[in-house]
Amino acid sequence: MKEKNTGHEQTGWQTELKLLLREPPLLASILVVFALFGVFIIYPFIKILLVPSAADWTRAITGKEFIEAFCNTMFSSLLATTTAIIFGFIFAYAINYTDMPCKRFFQVVALLPTMAPSVVSGLAFIMLFGRRGFITWNLLHLKTDLYGAFGLWVVQTIAFFPLAYITISGVLKAISPNLELAAQNLGARGWYLFSTVTLRLATPGLASAFLLVGINTLADFGNPMLVGANYHVLATEAYTQVVGAWDLPMGATLSVFLVIPTVLVFFVQRYYLEKTSYVTVTGKPVAGLIRVTCGPVAKWALFAFCCFMCTAILLIITVVFLFAFTKTFGYDWAFTMDHFIEGVMQSTVMHNSWVASMSTAAITTLFGIALAFLTIRKQFPGRVAMDFLAMLPVSLPGTFIGLSLILAFNDGPLTLTGTLWIIILGMVLRQMPVGYRQAVAGLKQIDKSLEQASTNLGANSFTTFKKIVVPMLKNSLSVSFVYSFMKSMNTLSTVIFLVSPEWNLASVNIMSLSDHGFLATASATACGMMLTIFVTFGIVKLVLRDKINIFDL
Amino acid sequence: MSELVLQMKGINKYFGSNQVIFDVNMDIPKGAFVTFLGPSGCGKTTLLRMVAGFYEPDEGEILLNGNRIEKLPPYARNTAMVFQEYALFPHMSVYENVAYGLNVKGVAKDEIKRRVTEALELMQLKGMEGRYPNQMSGGQQQRVAVARALVMNPEVLLLDEPLSNLDAKLRETVRVELRQIQQKMGLSTIYVTHDQAEALSMSDLIVVMRKGVIHQIGNPMEIYFQPKTTFVADFIGTTNLIQVNGTAAKTVAYGDTLVKVYKETDKGQGYCLSIRPESAGLTTTPVESKVNIKGTITNKMFLGEKVRYFVNDSQAKEWIVDVFDPGKRLLSGEVYVSFADEKAWLIDEAVIDKEE
Repeated sequence: MKEKNTGHEQTGWQTELKLLLREPPLLASILVVFALFGVFIIYPFIKILLVPSAADWTRAITGKEFIEAFCNTMFSSLLATTTAIIFGFIFAYAINYTDMPCKRFFQVVALLPTMAPSVVSGLAFIMLFGRRGFITWNLLHLKTDLYGAFGLWVVQTIAFFPLAYITISGVLKAISPNLELAAQNLGARGWYLFSTVTLRLATPGLASAFLLVGINTLADFGNPMLVGANYHVLATEAYTQVVGAWDLPMGATLSVFLVIPTVLVFFVQRYYLEKTSYVTVTGKPVAGLIRVTCGPVAKWALFAFCCFMCTAILLIITVVFLFAFTKTFGYDWAFTMDHFIEGVMQSTVMHNSWVASMSTAAITTLFGIALAFLTIRKQFPGRVAMDFLAMLPVSLPGTFIGLSLILAFNDGPLTLTGTLWIIILGMVLRQMPVGYRQAVAGLKQIDKSLEQASTNLGANSFTTFKKIVVPMLKNSLSVSFVYSFMKSMNTLSTVIFLVSPEWNLASVNIMSLSDHGFLATASATACGMMLTIFVTFGIVKLVLRDKINIFDL
Repeated sequence: MSELVLQMKGINKYFGSNQVIFDVNMDIPKGAFVTFLGPSGCGKTTLLRMVAGFYEPDEGEILLNGNRIEKLPPYARNTAMVFQEYALFPHMSVYENVAYGLNVKGVAKDEIKRRVTEALELMQLKGMEGRYPNQMSGGQQQRVAVARALVMNPEVLLLDEPLSNLDAKLRETVRVELRQIQQKMGLSTIYVTHDQAEALSMSDLIVVMRKGVIHQIGNPMEIYFQPKTTFVADFIGTTNLIQVNGTAAKTVAYGDTLVKVYKETDKGQGYCLSIRPESAGLTTTPVESKVNIKGTITNKMFLGEKVRYFVNDSQAKEWIVDVFDPGKRLLSGEVYVSFADEKAWLIDEAVIDKEE
């Protein structure tokens, strides 16, 4: 990342330290941040490495079932990630590069699944294609099911398609339209234009999208649990070890293996891709200019593809709603609120999820801006380390984070297991990079001279921060607030080890209800969740009186 | 220069309900360097983009060498463009950037090499073939952008404010080079700028625009000395615009002062006179055979080669008068602003700013 020349650039760390000692509040806040990182990031992650004994490591490496689970995990996530990325790319390309009809509709539908936990895809799959699935059993009268590797592939592809689409859409939007205009101006068109300019420019962004989706599929716990059947992956295997065999060290060992590939990719991305990224500042958006780069055939092919994806998504959502509000879908179609009352109204899980997610959103947003302010605007020794630690959790599968937290805070002076705090802690760790990155991006857009102008006109640092920085960051802050909230509501793999009978969460409930065959109640809970998220968005929008649009994320 | 390379006929363009181009007509001769000049938002870039094919006119025709092109997609026209922000492909080297268009066309490899090398040499970029855009200065990037367009040997070369990102000194050098290359190659060129000095110094023909309307098309001297509207007079250089009345003869009246003009005027009709600051002089006594207007110096600026005086006359009109080679003694107090009748250019009020 290139920094603007601040004038402090040439000074060594000694000078930085000297400057720092002159500003005690700054020094104090930096120490607090590092203390928090030490206790809540470094300590748990070291602990999880120390818990397994040599025997555990040997068992994990030699145990046949573990090797199989490892290979399964790699294979299935690579497959699902690849298809999700390809589908996401085609979809994003269609939305951003054509003038096809119904674009707005496609955009909204593609993002609907992000309102519910990814495990809902698995749930819908059971209801449609399971042993008593609506399509396989009721319509086609087949006695088979599609559980296993194939089912998992389909489910994960659809479950992580929206994430791929959002990320890639951002990548494509960042490509300056002028470059494609220039290429067209020089005679390029169609496939040639696409392959020599658009695709080449998008490649670094696609690689990081691949990483992001890959981490999610690797960590995905709910879908393999529901539709994986005998196809075991590391996340479910770790869960079985911990919850079934109460073998925490073995669970820890397995989750470490889950981390190795993601951390590897994280480093590659951080130190290689960022250097080769072609984020160009050329070209301002031009009024009335839509990038239309494909001919009618390509356009309608893309249109058909978008229709196909949206049908699949709508099918999932429809079946969830139908199961939730009929007595026994497929047999007794009578409308009922029973499941909804049982799963949502009479249960504390929705309330718990909401409290934990709201707290998480508030903490990550505020902490994110404070962190970003330190790393972007201040010079101090350890700045790079702070940035690194703040971004590190992005590469860690949720299961790993959850396990490391129960291992670290199970006993000792800071016993958190079984409390709401450990749930919030897990969610915050998982979402912090998002809030931090949003704040960094926002702060970078505010030229330093604006703050200098404010100080020059007599405002002190605090007034400047309040009157200049915060209003200008409002938009990116509300986006990260909404995003953290939504992700925390939906997360399953992070919290699966952290919930307790006292503090259970809606996403976990959906998974366990589905797993035990209470499909209707699970569906009703999923509907309640979407409803909760929508209502919360509405409130946030009203309160902030902001133009933030969740569908433009 | 009689053969036309580009013609525009009755072009209208709307962005939504907003009309941005109003009935534009123009003929551009082959080999000419034509400048679209106007303040930002005047529609000059929109017009240029229509030639390139990035916008389609809502009404009207565009003819390139006699063929209608307004409905052709951008890639099917040979109208290479230099973008304001250069739009160099960041993932390609200089050589690949310049060769891109030729590769698209499927030109033979050795011919590509020859033509790219030639273009790079012409733009003094020899030895930089392997560099990437982010390893180059703004001026060098600008040269690459020009080379990339030149190598296509376009029917008409389009330049969209190509110098606006360069510093003043460099801008002047590149300006001269660009004009030399254009003349050497006999390349028809359309150049968009808001800088009147650039337009005056480079162009064969200037198209002055404002708010989507063409105010005047003419060579630099016509534009400067015979502006058709007050906007043109005011936008190009500095001028004194004074409100006068017709007298039914070839004279107009400014208060009691009469000024001879080049054509008959209608009695009582309002006109405008444009007198350039350098065309007027300051004297302490009236000058015979010139128009003399009495006033008081209210302010002055020493600018080196000249002194710019601000003079208020009896009608409270402020005049700007430049006195060249001033010496060390400056004038003050009561003076006469004097100018020869033929230095005052008459503008019909009737044709002024009809869009307002």
